[in-house]
Amino acid sequence: MSFTQIARSCSRLAATLAPKRIASAALVQSQQARMMHRIAVPAVANQWSQKFGVRSYSAKSTIEDIKFRVLKVVSAYDKECRRNRWQTQSVRRYSAKPPLSLKLINERVLLVLKLYDKIDPCKLNVESHFINDLGLDSLDHVEVIMAMEDEFGFEIPDSDAEKLLKPADIIKYVADKEDVYE
Amino acid sequence: MAQVPLAIVSHKRQVCSLYKRALRNLEAWYDRRNDYRYRAVQLRARFDENRSKDLGEGIRLLASGQKELFETKHYQPRNFANSAGGCAFEREVIPPDWLLDYWHPLEKAQYPEYFAKREQRKKEYVTWWEKQYGKPDPKDLGHH
Repeated sequence: MSFTQIARSCSRLAATLAPKRIASAALVQSQQARMMHRIAVPAVANQWSQKFGVRSYSAKSTIEDIKFRVLKVVSAYDKECRRNRWQTQSVRRYSAKPPLSLKLINERVLLVLKLYDKIDPCKLNVESHFINDLGLDSLDHVEVIMAMEDEFGFEIPDSDAEKLLKPADIIKYVADKEDVYE
Repeated sequence: MAQVPLAIVSHKRQVCSLYKRALRNLEAWYDRRNDYRYRAVQLRARFDENRSKDLGEGIRLLASGQKELFETKHYQPRNFANSAGGCAFEREVIPPDWLLDYWHPLEKAQYPEYFAKREQRKKEYVTWWEKQYGKPDPKDLGHH
């Protein structure tokens, strides 16, 4: 044991036994408290994040955790993309339209008529006459025909429009125009 | 051919046609839907105001309305794609049915069943025609 080592251990002994003892104990205590703080906070935060689902960056997560989380987000994104493909995909359609069916034409015609404020949706039927049953006048009939033109995207000439006096007539006319038979 | 006037058009139909063209004209001028609806309601009120006028007054009002429409016509009206003036007008030409009669016999031989049925249908149509309208005068047969 060298002289310096002896001197150091003596001074350590003196430090533990000296009148400075109280102060040094306080120092040790405060240091421990600081360490407690550094150890305890991540643990508390981890519990908290598990309980309330809040992300805590100080929490130490394993590789598996991270992998799981990333894969979850990616799979959700893929699912969303697959669901919205018709919106997100930009494909030139060359004036093609989505295929119509008689049922779809029926629904669209009736929806347009229901949304027209002068028609009572309770009285509306496929076979109800616009002027006799629903109480529209000829100018209202013109507005209905214009709404149908806007809905289906083609012009209905006046000579044909005056014959379309029932929703069923309109459905048949649109189906004939678009070559829909079923 | 729908636009060619083939018969006398009644006053009511002319008024309806004027109303429709006036609405389309407003739609061309006011591209915001709320502005268009405001003008459309005003237009409808003007039409409803003159609902109970007699025919002579109505004809005069119709003429003045047509004049007003002509004067306020939009310089570049919006058209439907497939109607005259639209961007896809006559894009797809549907060949008429009689074109099939001018196929070469070798071409027709590729579809024997269809053309046999077609000949049968033509015969049935001729008999239907003769039953409906009588035998044609032999002077009228053949090309001029």
